[in-house]
Amino acid sequence: MNSLCPVMPFVAFIASMQSVVEFDNVGLRYGTGVETLTDISFTLHPGSFYFLTGASGAGKTSLLKLLYLAHRPSRGAMRMFGHDTITLPRDRLPGFRRRIGVVFQDFRLVAHLSTFDNIALPLRIAGIQEKDLRGPVTEMLAWIGLTERADARPATLSGGEQQRVAIARAVIGRPEMLVADEPTGNVDPEMARRLLQLFAALNKLGTTVVVATHDIHLLQEIEGAQMMRLDKGRLSDPTGSLRHPPRPLVLDN
Amino acid sequence: MLLDFVLPAHDRKLIPEGRLSGPMPWVIAIMLFLTLLVAAGGLTLAEAARQGGQDLARQVTVQIIESDPAQRAAQRAAVTRALRKLDSIAEVKPVPDAQVRALLEPWLGTGVIDADVPVPALVDVRFASVPTAETITRLQSTLRSVAPNIRVDSHSSWMAPFFELMRALLWLAAAVFLLLLVATSAVVILAVRSTLNTHRETIEIMHMMGGTDVQAARLFQRRVALDALLGGAVGFIVAAVVIVTVGDRFAAVEPGLLSGAHFPYYGWAILALIPLAVMALAMLMARMTVISALKRIL
Repeated sequence: MNSLCPVMPFVAFIASMQSVVEFDNVGLRYGTGVETLTDISFTLHPGSFYFLTGASGAGKTSLLKLLYLAHRPSRGAMRMFGHDTITLPRDRLPGFRRRIGVVFQDFRLVAHLSTFDNIALPLRIAGIQEKDLRGPVTEMLAWIGLTERADARPATLSGGEQQRVAIARAVIGRPEMLVADEPTGNVDPEMARRLLQLFAALNKLGTTVVVATHDIHLLQEIEGAQMMRLDKGRLSDPTGSLRHPPRPLVLDN
Repeated sequence: MLLDFVLPAHDRKLIPEGRLSGPMPWVIAIMLFLTLLVAAGGLTLAEAARQGGQDLARQVTVQIIESDPAQRAAQRAAVTRALRKLDSIAEVKPVPDAQVRALLEPWLGTGVIDADVPVPALVDVRFASVPTAETITRLQSTLRSVAPNIRVDSHSSWMAPFFELMRALLWLAAAVFLLLLVATSAVVILAVRSTLNTHRETIEIMHMMGGTDVQAARLFQRRVALDALLGGAVGFIVAAVVIVTVGDRFAAVEPGLLSGAHFPYYGWAILALIPLAVMALAMLMARMTVISALKRIL
């Protein structure tokens, strides 16, 4: 053990380089109110799958907002893709956001855009040419079973259909990290399983997935998934893997 | 920045564009109509001041004050001859006695002035170029050798208050023009803020997906540019009709103080540039408003 001590800082550096997200004593406060999140510390590794659970009002959505860079922490340190996002200039945030797919709890589809245009939106924002996005979007529409509804506006879709569109929009750009807030809340069990399979497939391709859910049974659907539990804005770590993650592969080599 | 006006068709869908459906194009049309009228008025005044000023500054009237009508006529003839010999003078026009009496009739009444009333003889003189005060003094002393009681009145001296008024009106027109541009900018800012509030959800979604402030600003710039273009076209057409109609009325007025008051041809080019300038201004204001509003959200 002693022989490892001189290399520990180097190992810690390599480990930090390999993390997708690192939170260190992060706190979040809206305005002058009480802290919504308190002393949150964890590390998310590339290609891992995390479930974030907790009662309503525990702070799941607030934590996800930090993860998809809708807010910056009020205190603490936060690194994402190897960069300190606290001090990151505002004009560099869009580049980071394009690496994150988000499924919002309330879907947040653009009401006056068709299903096709809603799914294509992240690709268009990223500047993908029209001829290059038509194929992937059509394929995604087929996968979520909404080919026939490609021209439909969100208002004419059912809750489940809207949720599928929201998920398709989040994953179409093959994000490095996928953040989903209750993504299976409005779909039937069969569709929920299919959507989780899609998340798992993305995860196998290297996407880090964070799914906020009330349904702890979903944990059984994804092999090797880890759980984070929020309770009144504080993170508990039932598996112990968040504060003390498995040794990085570099050590095994 | 102006090239941001051109957007791919799919980006245009992000913020629906209602052609002339909202109040914005109509408000811009009204603002631009007023701006163009003020600009046309200012240009007409400037042209009148330029032409009239040049013309009047070259003109003087020689008054021959002599009570004996025969002497007065002889002196007028002598003054006319003396003036015609001078190279610096372009035109000499003795004013007939009947015309002088007609000029005085509104003040003295019809039939009051007869041959016995000593009315000065007048000779209108136009210099080839604008004379200096020294030139006029020299002319006065030259003419006194043929007519001892003469007075040389420079038209520019008695017209000076009129031209000062014109200059003041020009400044007023410029100030009103600028105020209208400021008001148009304020209208654009309010309209953009209102549209931004309406489409805040779409913009936030774009933001969360990695859309930049400039991408969002382009959407608004295009919408505002189209509104400004349509409003500008309507405002320009209505203003052009008014300018042409009023111009015809001016042309029908008997030449006098307003002889130089016509809308210059180059003015049309300036007026045509104003809607384009307003469109560019509107796009700039839209861009600045959107970017500054988006900076308040992360």
